[in-house]
Amino acid sequence: MDFDQQLQLRFALTESAKTLQLLSLHHGAKWSSEALNGLVPLTNDQKFAVYQQSLQRSPPSFLPAKGQNDFLEFTENERLLMATSYFNFKEFDRCAHVLKDCSSSKCVFLKLYAMYLSGEKTKCDETGGVLGQQDGKIQNTKLTQISKELEQYTKTSGKGRLDDPFLLYLNGLVAAKLKDNTLAQECFYQSLTIYPFNWSCWSELIANLASFSEALAILNRFTKNARFIDNKLFHVMLLFFKVTISQEFFQQFNELYDDLTYLLEIFPKFSYLKIQKALISYNALDYVSAEDIFDDVLASDPLRLDDMDTYSNILYVMENKSKLAFLAQFAAQIDNFRPETCCILANYYSLKFDHQKAIMYYKRALALNRNCLSAWTLMGHEFVELKNSHAAIESYRRAVDTNNKDFRAWYGLGQAYEVLDMHLYSLYYYQRACALKPLDKRMWQAVGNCSEKLGEYEDSIKAYKKALSVSSDIDHAIFYKLANLHQSIKDTKNAAVYMKMCLDEEPNDGITAETSKARLWLAKYELERQNWQAAYDYSSQMTHGTSNEIEEARAIAREARVNLNRGS
Amino acid sequence: MTNNSPNTSTLTISPLVTNKRSRDYFQTPPNLLGQHGIGQQPQPHSRVFSSPNVGKSVNSKLSTLASKDDDDEVPLTQADKLRLWRHDALMQHHYNTAIYIGDKVLSLTNDPNDAFWLAQVHYANGNYQIARDLLAGPNFEESVSCRYLAGLCLIKLEKYDEALDVVGEVNPFKTDHSVKNADGGIKLEASMCYLRGLTYSKQNNFDRAKECYKEAVLVDVKCFEAFNELINNHLMSPDEEWELLSVLNFDDADNNNELVKLLYTTRLNKYKNVQSFEEAEQRLKDEYNLDENLDILLSRADLLFIQCRFQQCLDLCEKIIQRDELNLSVLPNYLSCLHELGGKNRLFLMAHKLAENYPNHHITWLAIGIYYFSIKKTNEARVFFSRASMINPNFGPAWIGFSHTFAAEGEHEQAISAYATASRLFPGIHLPNLFLGMQYLQMNNLTLSHEYLMSSYSICPTDPLLLNELGVLFYRRTQLAKAEMYFQKALTAATALDSNAKAWSSIHCNLGHVYRRLNMLDKSLSHFNKVLRISRKDVNIYSAIGLLHLKMGKISKAIETLHIALSIQPNDPIALDLLNKGLESNLHISNKKFLDEAVSQKAVLQTPINKPTRHLKFIGEDNKRDLDLIAEDLKRGEDSSDDDDEVMEIESE
Repeated sequence: MDFDQQLQLRFALTESAKTLQLLSLHHGAKWSSEALNGLVPLTNDQKFAVYQQSLQRSPPSFLPAKGQNDFLEFTENERLLMATSYFNFKEFDRCAHVLKDCSSSKCVFLKLYAMYLSGEKTKCDETGGVLGQQDGKIQNTKLTQISKELEQYTKTSGKGRLDDPFLLYLNGLVAAKLKDNTLAQECFYQSLTIYPFNWSCWSELIANLASFSEALAILNRFTKNARFIDNKLFHVMLLFFKVTISQEFFQQFNELYDDLTYLLEIFPKFSYLKIQKALISYNALDYVSAEDIFDDVLASDPLRLDDMDTYSNILYVMENKSKLAFLAQFAAQIDNFRPETCCILANYYSLKFDHQKAIMYYKRALALNRNCLSAWTLMGHEFVELKNSHAAIESYRRAVDTNNKDFRAWYGLGQAYEVLDMHLYSLYYYQRACALKPLDKRMWQAVGNCSEKLGEYEDSIKAYKKALSVSSDIDHAIFYKLANLHQSIKDTKNAAVYMKMCLDEEPNDGITAETSKARLWLAKYELERQNWQAAYDYSSQMTHGTSNEIEEARAIAREARVNLNRGS
Repeated sequence: MTNNSPNTSTLTISPLVTNKRSRDYFQTPPNLLGQHGIGQQPQPHSRVFSSPNVGKSVNSKLSTLASKDDDDEVPLTQADKLRLWRHDALMQHHYNTAIYIGDKVLSLTNDPNDAFWLAQVHYANGNYQIARDLLAGPNFEESVSCRYLAGLCLIKLEKYDEALDVVGEVNPFKTDHSVKNADGGIKLEASMCYLRGLTYSKQNNFDRAKECYKEAVLVDVKCFEAFNELINNHLMSPDEEWELLSVLNFDDADNNNELVKLLYTTRLNKYKNVQSFEEAEQRLKDEYNLDENLDILLSRADLLFIQCRFQQCLDLCEKIIQRDELNLSVLPNYLSCLHELGGKNRLFLMAHKLAENYPNHHITWLAIGIYYFSIKKTNEARVFFSRASMINPNFGPAWIGFSHTFAAEGEHEQAISAYATASRLFPGIHLPNLFLGMQYLQMNNLTLSHEYLMSSYSICPTDPLLLNELGVLFYRRTQLAKAEMYFQKALTAATALDSNAKAWSSIHCNLGHVYRRLNMLDKSLSHFNKVLRISRKDVNIYSAIGLLHLKMGKISKAIETLHIALSIQPNDPIALDLLNKGLESNLHISNKKFLDEAVSQKAVLQTPINKPTRHLKFIGEDNKRDLDLIAEDLKRGEDSSDDDDEVMEIESE
């Protein structure tokens, strides 16, 4: 990317930060401004040149042309200022009331957005405690009114459809809340086509994607979109999207690393990118490099708490107790009442087996931010630890409600139902988990296990075979399972093959219960087929197992021996 | 003409008119008469006492007493002066003076008109019996005005049979019907008809009452009292109302005929001819400058209410109330809107305000009743509704509210008897019959329900709620094609009314069920999706959508939807049953497919689980169970529409 384009990007991000700020889209504004500061810094000369240039002509604008809306906006500007300040004081209803009669797109957006937030706030207030009686049953009551007003606005604007990027974004938000995902995606897509420098919109779009195929479909649409092909800056935003969805769906594109490197060249100091990189490593089970990146982020931006809960997850998985303790202390010092801090603390307590306390902190995190994605899942895990399956199911369910891409939650749901002996249910959840993480053999094993419990042996065999095919390291337990399954469908021949395969792994994995059982089975098998020698070999090697098994092996050995002797 | 003519008003026998000499301008007030003589220029500041100067002296006796020559200034006779005195005393509410002097005049002249005026004083003073006794004498029975007043007194005294004797059971003047009233007042004949109507309605004989009122308006269009009774009590069906308007003779109102016609038009029901209403309203605003007139605004509020635009109606009502805080006629609409929109707090305030100002008015108790109904204290609400209807037995909203309290508690029998009363009282509105039909529908008495709904339909064929009910009825009778027709009609009606979409989500829901049973799955699905877009969370809708997805073979989607259903109501048996079914088919179909694809593919990027499965044998295999399930679900589906009805029923109060 040449200097000129970088400069353009600078202008675009500056404008975006300002605009989003004015519209109170704080997350987007934060992202844009962080991105802006994450760019390669200008040298002093360059700065001066840019300054000179800016005196002569105003920087280019990437927002859609204003048209006749401009005058309207001018007349309503004073009221908009007042409304924005009310908004910042979280007086949402008052803000909406002040803008009641306004008709410029900006004012309409702020009014409806304030209404939306006010509805969300009431919803939270009325819901009561986390996992309380009313939890999850209350809906944002303002939604229908908002979509109605949006329709009204579309009608009066006379264009036949919404064409303001921010109103489209809002429409998408409402549709998403009403569970109309197709419409929501369409709105976000259109909004982004008009104005892509709105990260709030991108992240909502990502949150709305339920499966990787959906993500791919929308990515294809973007890549085919002329605006994104022609405009380098638009393309940069698309790359961000691409990287993020690959990360979220655990996909490892070949180009992923190229894209990431390309972006990092442009934004060398952008924490968001670094963290994406860390997460990709984390998903690839490369904990060490993930940890390194997080350390780096913390060093360059020491007071940053965003995403630090993910860091604590990594430390948890690595069982790095001391560092997690440090992180917990550190975060608590910065701000005790951030959901991230609470998650970190909860992870810390969980690692110390203090599950009650961990749950308390997760609940606090959720009270602070109901959409705290990982907290629901992790709280589910804690409930599992406490053997409270129903509470676990409840929290996993919330987890998949807020983020249906979380395979851990789906898997957790499957496990919880398995404990309750509801295999039909768990199968479905395992399938979901599997679809999200098809390269993880645990998922396939779980599906296989469930199918077996439900008596679908052939399905189970397929699942286990799949489990074998996705993992590079070989697990003898799967062979044993497969052998047993084949036996269940009276396919003794294949069963024997798998038993042998299981036994073959013994030198690598050491003697386990499965290998011993396989040996005994093979001994019996050979005995039946009157392969006395083989039967004798198997049974005589039987050194581990329960006393019964060893007893049985001895009997087989004796019989084989007798027959051998008789034969010879 | 004589003083006995029913075609004149009381204006002709007023002492002001009978003493008058000049015909061309307004009469000067009597207190000035003495000082300046008669026939002066109008005195604008004292219009209060002046009367339009139209008819000539009709009282032969009086005219002989007064003068033979109209153009000359003739000094007033003694009796005339006393009459003016009496009249002024009455106007200034000096009743004792008026009685005292009136009595003397009567003794002096023994004229029926003087008797009339004296009785008038007694009447104003609340001494109805005295007035009646005064007028009872055989001397005065000839006089139409005396008879009229006597009838009025008898009604006040609640002696309805006697009142009928006095005014006659049918109009005795029917023959000289076409004579135009020259004096600009209300024809006594019309007033008599009105009295007759009033008597019949007090005797609960609403058919006769309606006829009498109609006759009153037909005799003299200026008899607004009768028109008002007709409209306010909904005695006529919407068609009849418009028909009546078309045959009215507005010439009685002279050059105000256009104005009166427009005004009356705005008063009519808003079920149909919204076009002409709008036109009339526009013309009143443009030509007569009445755009801020409260009655015009009231009509507009009525229209908005009928169209279920509660928010707008509420805004308008508030505007009216702001200008006229205790405008009683706006209150029924205002209160209903507040109830609709959940304005409990304002209901509370309004009820208190009313209780302070009008402790004995029926509307006060209605307001209190509605408040209690809003906060779901049905028992208290019932007490107050019944109090309101005790104060005014003809007050419709109170009766309907009273019945609603029973309906809300599922007391069908009592609700039915209360609705039946309401329907007897107001044959012109379709609501009581509709509610009756709904109650019978809930009791599963389809025949009676059909009857009532149809009679309601004959009054108002455009109410979406009614059409919806009819649809439900036919759905229950498994006449799906008819049900579909009515639901579609309901939908068109709802869109034509352009009302709040939320109120009509149950129509979409019901249509969804109909199409589901007609096996038009896509159509069905689209209707259910519409419901989801406009309405709150409802477990039954999600269950229905889940079933549809199952039927379409989109198992994964079905499971997802059913999960949502269960998250709303964790123990809903239908959803649970369907979910189990979905999971089973998931095991038997999707899982196989899923695994097959998984095995055949090297790197699984796609999620086949989200794709529809085309094998649908499963449902066939499991036919019996499936049918049971559908049957059960159907029952449930109807319940759901009934639940919605409950909601809507309240909404349409």
